[in-house]
Amino acid sequence: MKEILTENKNLITLVGPPNSGKTTLFNFLSGKNFKTVNYPGSTIEYNSTEFLSKFEIDANLLDSPGIISLIPNSPDEEITVNSLYEHPKFGVPNIVIVTVDSSQVSRHLLLVKQLLESNFNVIIALTMTDILHKKGFTISPTKLEEKIGCKVVKIDGRTGKGVENLAVTIRQILSISDNTKNNLTKLIPSAHAERIIRFYKEIEQIENEVVSEIAAEKNLKNANEQLNKLSQNFINKPDSFTLKLDRILLHKFWGIIFFLLITGTIFTSIFWLALPLMELIDEFFAVMANTASNYLGNNWYGDLIADGIISSVGAVIIFVPQIVILFIILGFLEDTGYLARGAMLIDKPLSKIGLNGRSFVPMLSGFACAIPAMLAARTISNRKERLLTIFIIPLMSCSARLPVYALLIAFLIPKENFLIGGFIFSFIYLFSIISSVVIAGIINKFSRTIIREEDNSSFILELPSYKIPKLKSVVLNTLSSTRQYLKEAGPVIIVFSIVLWVLTYFPNTNPQIDTNNLTETEIVDAIQMERISTSYAAQIGKIIEPVMIPIGMDWRIGVSLISAFVAREVFVSSLALIFRVSGDEETLRDSILNAMRHAKINGTDKNLFTPSTALGLIIFFVFAMQCLSTIAVAKKESGHWRIPLFQILIFSGFAYFATFITVNGLRLFGID
Amino acid sequence: MKTAAKLKFGEKAIINYIDENHPSFRRIIEIGFTPGQEIELLSSSIFNDPLAFSLRGTMIAIRKHEAESIILS
Repeated sequence: MKEILTENKNLITLVGPPNSGKTTLFNFLSGKNFKTVNYPGSTIEYNSTEFLSKFEIDANLLDSPGIISLIPNSPDEEITVNSLYEHPKFGVPNIVIVTVDSSQVSRHLLLVKQLLESNFNVIIALTMTDILHKKGFTISPTKLEEKIGCKVVKIDGRTGKGVENLAVTIRQILSISDNTKNNLTKLIPSAHAERIIRFYKEIEQIENEVVSEIAAEKNLKNANEQLNKLSQNFINKPDSFTLKLDRILLHKFWGIIFFLLITGTIFTSIFWLALPLMELIDEFFAVMANTASNYLGNNWYGDLIADGIISSVGAVIIFVPQIVILFIILGFLEDTGYLARGAMLIDKPLSKIGLNGRSFVPMLSGFACAIPAMLAARTISNRKERLLTIFIIPLMSCSARLPVYALLIAFLIPKENFLIGGFIFSFIYLFSIISSVVIAGIINKFSRTIIREEDNSSFILELPSYKIPKLKSVVLNTLSSTRQYLKEAGPVIIVFSIVLWVLTYFPNTNPQIDTNNLTETEIVDAIQMERISTSYAAQIGKIIEPVMIPIGMDWRIGVSLISAFVAREVFVSSLALIFRVSGDEETLRDSILNAMRHAKINGTDKNLFTPSTALGLIIFFVFAMQCLSTIAVAKKESGHWRIPLFQILIFSGFAYFATFITVNGLRLFGID
Repeated sequence: MKTAAKLKFGEKAIINYIDENHPSFRRIIEIGFTPGQEIELLSSSIFNDPLAFSLRGTMIAIRKHEAESIILS
């Protein structure tokens, strides 16, 4: 990954508790021009950039994941905090900007206190003063500056008002301190609890002095309520709109109805909204491949570019619509404040199987694609729960299985019967959800062997006030997630598609075909068929044939399954290749289906594809770990090969076993 | 000894102390559950766990098991 920053510049780091307006401020300071990079030696990501030129600040700006304290509670927070004290590349920040939600000063000033005590140069960016005003209170930045002992600047998150003042303050500090960095002291966790309580006492006093009521008539009612309060703490309640909405959304009955409705909507829109776009991309790449093939001719490099490269790039890009739609919806839900509620509602059942309420978003994302889902699991602070979530994500029926299921269902139900087809589809998804729950529970029981982590499980999550989402940050986040998917999945799929193409194409570069009475397309097909049956892939397929026979299949399905280990959807195209299917795009599936119906097991007149083998294949695809990019990401996100190796062994082994039971069980009952 | 896990909906109470032996002790006080603070039980998940409390102007959801470490006065 390329760092865009130069090392000998001033460093300004942006920190803040979750939901304190940090991302908004980062966007204001940097424009859109940031790069996502990993924290050194870890998979945690932060954004790094330079300041927009209009601010005239010659410094690097680092973003960091939200933290509530300088004493880390999870491995992820530890890296964040350590980087703050001593970034391996950029050193110590000259200035730390802390975002503090004005309506949350009593909680958010804790981090400020800790930073000041550690000797950082701190500027407070006071955000969300409008929310404080709505509650009938106002805050004085000058008083806060005086009481807490660092610069304070008000920022309006909607208009960007105040950002210019922040820039002025930054420039002042940079010029005064002459770029000398302070000697930092680290906080010691052992004696920490008393210190937190002492800090909170001090903060409460400060809060009393800097926050005051807006003297206006409309707030008289508010003021009267103040008199009845139990403690000296005012602004003690979330805003009334949030409370009202939560009476429905966290309601025992309606809450769960809305939860199912919302997740159901996300789930279905990943598919139905994305479908037309996916078809468009599919067609586009088919046309491209055709054009390339026509232009370059029928030779090895023409085939390589058309079948190997263009098609595999298409196979990567086809999932972009689903990922974009998923992240736009999730981004909006997160910004409104609902996602935290969803996590709360689902925490109890998930905790029963060793997961956490926070596993819910990654698991949901897994239905689009496992890669962004595994990246989303970073929000789970408990390492064991995070690894278990990563572990079961491949069991979520990702969209790459769609084309495979569609083909096999079409084989099972010859006539275009949408109702039964749709019913089978829903059943497959339900089946995969239930089985992943069961498997998660089992894995959890053996977590000492597989996950090898023991961690204190907890669920402590702020439910932020409901807000209108910010389009800009949702879009930026979606873009960066999509970029991540392309970066993680793209190269692996393309490289292995090319390897697969080589395996099915060589060594027989120019087979001799009897061309009498054949049309040109038929000749091309015959050559391709000849190639595939004498290719390296076929040789490998014949080696594994003994494994395929017990589940009622032969080397040809074996080769397709092996190629599906690159990426599941490759299964369909390699079937097409192996069964000598060509023809224009509209009839491609019909031709595969036709070939499947006529395929015989080698040397016999028994059908290769039967209802039992088709169902067996569906079962295989429900469980098997068949995606190289997922394996790569699982390795990266978990930090070692342990998790992905267990995933391959357990999931694929179980897939084979379940397929064996399905195929032979059905045959036992007379269903061939 | 009444804990936050035993609050009724809409019931307000003042935190007396937090059980130091609870594994989530530090995180609980860090997020703002400190002695002297007023909390109110606002909602709970359908399984009565986790619980959502009003605290310092916001809502915090914690598991029942964690709420048991919050001793009320």
